[in-house]
Amino acid sequence: MSYTDNQREFRELASWVVDQAKKAGANDCRVGISKNRFVEINYRNRKPETIKEATTQGLRLEIYKNNRFSSQSTPDFRKSTLSGFISDLVDNTKIMEEDPFRTLPDPKYFKGRFDKDLDLVDASYNSLQPEMRHDMVKAVEAACIDRGGSKVISVEAGEYDQIYEEFVMTSNGFEGSNRSTEIWTGADMTAQDVGDRKPNGYFWVGSRHRNNLPSLKEVGEMAAIKTLDLLGAKKIETETLPVIIENNIVSRLLSGLVGPMSAGNIQQKRSFLADKKGQAIGSKLFTILDDPFISQGFGSKTYDGDGFPARKREFFTQGVLNEFLIDWYYGRKLGWEPTSGSTSNILIPPGTRTVESIIKDLDRCLLVTGFLGGNSNATTGDFSVGIQGKLYNKGQFVQNVAEMNIADNHLKFWNKLIEIGNDPWMYSNVRTPSLVFDGVVVAGI
Amino acid sequence: MKNLSRRKFIQGTAMAGGALLLLPGLEAFDFVEAKGPANYFLNEFGIDENICRKLLAKALSKGGDFADLYFEYTVSNYIGLEDGKVSQSSGRISLGVGIRTVKDDQIGYGFTQELTPESMLSAAGTAATICNMKAASCSNTFNKVQVGNYYPVSATFNGIPPKSKLPLLQALNQKCFSLSSELVKVNAGFSNTFKRIMIVTSDGLIAEDVIPSGYMYASVVAERNGKREQASYNLGGMRDLSYYTSDVVNKVATKSVNNALNLFDASQPPAGEMPVVLGPGITGILLHEAIGHGMEADFNRKKVSTYSTMLGKKVAEPFVTIIDDGTNMNLSGSLNVDDEGTPGKRTVLVENGILTGYLHDKISAKHYGVEPTGNGRRQDFQNYPIPRMRNTYMLGGQANPDDVIKAAGNGIYVEDVSNGQVKIGEGDFAFYVSQGRRIENGKLTTPIKDVNIMGNGPKMLANIAMVANDMEMFYGGGGQCGKNSQGVPVSFGLPTCLVKSLTVGGTQKQKGGQS
Repeated sequence: MSYTDNQREFRELASWVVDQAKKAGANDCRVGISKNRFVEINYRNRKPETIKEATTQGLRLEIYKNNRFSSQSTPDFRKSTLSGFISDLVDNTKIMEEDPFRTLPDPKYFKGRFDKDLDLVDASYNSLQPEMRHDMVKAVEAACIDRGGSKVISVEAGEYDQIYEEFVMTSNGFEGSNRSTEIWTGADMTAQDVGDRKPNGYFWVGSRHRNNLPSLKEVGEMAAIKTLDLLGAKKIETETLPVIIENNIVSRLLSGLVGPMSAGNIQQKRSFLADKKGQAIGSKLFTILDDPFISQGFGSKTYDGDGFPARKREFFTQGVLNEFLIDWYYGRKLGWEPTSGSTSNILIPPGTRTVESIIKDLDRCLLVTGFLGGNSNATTGDFSVGIQGKLYNKGQFVQNVAEMNIADNHLKFWNKLIEIGNDPWMYSNVRTPSLVFDGVVVAGI
Repeated sequence: MKNLSRRKFIQGTAMAGGALLLLPGLEAFDFVEAKGPANYFLNEFGIDENICRKLLAKALSKGGDFADLYFEYTVSNYIGLEDGKVSQSSGRISLGVGIRTVKDDQIGYGFTQELTPESMLSAAGTAATICNMKAASCSNTFNKVQVGNYYPVSATFNGIPPKSKLPLLQALNQKCFSLSSELVKVNAGFSNTFKRIMIVTSDGLIAEDVIPSGYMYASVVAERNGKREQASYNLGGMRDLSYYTSDVVNKVATKSVNNALNLFDASQPPAGEMPVVLGPGITGILLHEAIGHGMEADFNRKKVSTYSTMLGKKVAEPFVTIIDDGTNMNLSGSLNVDDEGTPGKRTVLVENGILTGYLHDKISAKHYGVEPTGNGRRQDFQNYPIPRMRNTYMLGGQANPDDVIKAAGNGIYVEDVSNGQVKIGEGDFAFYVSQGRRIENGKLTTPIKDVNIMGNGPKMLANIAMVANDMEMFYGGGGQCGKNSQGVPVSFGLPTCLVKSLTVGGTQKQKGGQS
């Protein structure tokens, strides 16, 4: 294993912390040390509005003593102050109540980690100079203003980049390290609509590697197009019709389904999926994968929070729920073999057709481009969420819509999935195409 | 180490060439020295006026209208009960300074977690990069700001010791289970934060504050005939441990259990536009989303808020008056002083139906030529302040609450909400109803749940048809408002009121509607 200078320092410090914790009376401990350097620049009215730059660091320590547990984090890495921090935390642990499931994982579960490079670091990151960042933002802003034309009230464009490093060690043999970069750019635009209505749209993209960002002109123009698409939006009468959820917002709907898959929710009887393993809860088109080994993926990793090796999983296959997210603690409480309590890169295999061609084949349909408010009940599966979007009839645009809502239950809703677009959203750890649902009640007037 | 005077320790390490930093421990409840706000950062970390002058001079070394320093030391702790055991404990220590340079509406910002002169000067240098002119001047003296006292703490208060929270959570757990044999799970938790801040400005002001905050919650799952329902409730605010009595434990338990049991008879309501009656209290989230955010002055000086052209105009009936207030005792959004050094204030947003003023930080106040309203808030030292709400509420009216429900005819009644969101430019907002009832023929009937309600802020204000005389504030401590990736605690309040029409996001079309 090769380490950076920071990670070598982190490893030495982590080893010292583990030693100190044991000396202070801990049976076991886990220490995680991280550092993040970031720069953030925003422009408005063609001049810098905010410039922000800093380095943050943190040390998180978990103490296990006689099946008692507590954790604490601090930004102070000096051994002179960490000594008191560690002994205080061990003392704090002693007053907690005994819980037989509060232990570090059995080390046998640490084995088998993926050892290939996930390409999470942009080797050219340190060559990114301040003027290059400013030039990026200026280019995005200019493209957005040009495309927005006379409708523009305000454009705010920005750039954010960071380099992150971490090291994790447990007293029972786990060591893990991670280093990654990311860079984001985009713009928010506000446009003048009729009366006092001023729609705001945005388009932001990110990548592990700067060279993989789309063209800055395209990013700025997309922000303008997204905003102009909101002009004249009105609600329509409540009706039942096919609904297409645009690729970049599908993750919001999925979160209401993936959360209840966690062992914590299941053990605490807060999951409508608790007794659904092996059962179909979606249509045959509904398949969800979790792949931690995608090169440059935002969710890519080799180990999870327990230290378990990351592995590929298929959460749903043709609508059937295959497995849950089982971490060490709740797995033991349930008496279930642990898998992993967290997700990585969530994928839905794309279909073959573009959204445009799908719309042409639907009589009257709604393309949902944004959500507003709403929530999902993990215990019952009921959800209700505000929407905005575009109404079509036989492929022809009818009007933009806003101030409307869809509500359903997850156990019914995913059975309404009738087609999947060919357009996976690549700028997130949830890489899903647009999804088409039939027979959705859209509440309006 | 705990009983050693930190100032003496710092002096010792400084003489030895060590760093000027010593973090206090976890929850240092056995300190014997007084812990009032005065000179805390001087006494504990050696931050004196001379250092502040140097930092401000560096922040203004390339020009700027003003600069400020925001020192923060925060200890956050959480303990949780699950399956009858208090076995979860976590916490976070946060220490640092944020340094801001402002030129017109441009902001340069740097921060550091290390209160060493080198690190702080480096952060000040980052802030200075927003300007490219000749150096601006900084005041030579700093005058104390007279701050409010809206969440008093005793001189010796220094956090809530974990030991004292365990029996409270056990009592809460037992109380919940005693209320219903249908309960199958109880999660209970106690979250508290103890924050000390000091703001120093280049125009010669210094302000300090001590902020205790927290909440106790219960989240319960009940089971009936194979069906499960979950509900939760919390109480708290800017308070020390003395607030959390058996009475509070009983209220949290009773409300969470009753809410869960009510849901067995509840269903998602019909979909479409209909009259909506907001019950008193937490439903004030409606104001927060529908008008409060739109009145934050940064959105208005940028002309991106739907309210940016409505100042001085009639936006509601004369019986509607809406306040944003930092001066309520012990509420989550109360502020002795805001994060720019402006003392806590009360701001009228709508007075007798007329839009009267925005919520300002220093930048927007200068833009509009008015005094700051004390709404400059930030999540922590890692973020610069922006206009944010505090406690937002509507004054009570004349109507009887029963008459308001009767006047609705057929619609829904909202009792409890969980979250909301607004689109500033359009004014479109949503809030999620976790508890409520249908109104049929002017009477409350079957329970409803899990429904999102949509509306448009200006239209909603104009559609407020009745306001009752039962204004209540929400005394929960877990309310967080998010804006620009910053969360700050807030609260709400509302009397029972009738909105003539909002879109209810149900699953079925209303009877008589068209499909």
